[in-house]
Amino acid sequence: TRLYASEAAGVPVGKLVVNFALPHESVMANKEVHQVDMSAVSGDLGVLADHVPTIEQLKPGVLDFIGDSGSQKYFVSGGFAIMNPNSVLNINAVEAFKLEDIDPQAVAANLAESQRLAASAKDELTKEAAAIEIELYESLQSALAGRAK
Amino acid sequence: MTFAWRTAGMNYLQYSSIAARALRRVVKSELKTEIAKREGVSVKYAKWTNGKAGASAPVAIIETRPQAEN
Repeated sequence: TRLYASEAAGVPVGKLVVNFALPHESVMANKEVHQVDMSAVSGDLGVLADHVPTIEQLKPGVLDFIGDSGSQKYFVSGGFAIMNPNSVLNINAVEAFKLEDIDPQAVAANLAESQRLAASAKDELTKEAAAIEIELYESLQSALAGRAK
Repeated sequence: MTFAWRTAGMNYLQYSSIAARALRRVVKSELKTEIAKREGVSVKYAKWTNGKAGASAPVAIIETRPQAEN
C-alpha cells in the first residue's frame, strides 16, 4: 500500500500541523489547522495538507490560520514558512501581532513620517529603509481596512 | 532577481530589523512596555578564514527616526 507521507507520520488526514515561533515566544506548537494563508515574496499562497514542500520568504503581511474554530490572523514583519513533506508547516517570524493589537492612528502617522523620510533622504540606504517601512505600513493599513468590513 | 534593499547595500539582518522595528512602533500603547525589551538587540559578526575568526564588527543599525538625545 502507498501512503501519503503525512498519513505515515501520523498527521490527521486533511490537516496541517503548524509550529509558529518568534525569537521571544512560541505562538503555536503542534497545532492542527486546515489551511494557512500567507503573503510570500513569490506571491500570496494558501497552504493545505499535502502541499508540495517549499520554503517561502514572507513579506510583511497577514498570516491566516484556518482551523475548526475559524480563522486566526497575525500581521508579521517578515520571516520564513517551511512546508515539510509530512504536512508539518514551520513558520518563523521576527514580530507578529494580532490586528486588534495594532493602533491604526499610529500606522497612519508612521506611514506619513516614513514617506517624508523617503522624500528627503540623501543616501540610498536611508531611502531604502524608508521604502521598507512604507511597504509594511501600507500592507498593514489594507489588513486593518479588510478587518473593519 | 535581487531585492532592492540588497542592491542599496543592506543585508538581510538589517532588512528584517527595520521591518520588525516599524511594526513594534504601531502596537497599542498598553503593549509597549513589554515589547520595549526587544528594541536594544544588536548583532556582531566576524569573518572566518583558515579556521580563525577575524575582527568582530557590529551590524550597522540603520535609523529611520530621530534618536532621543541622552
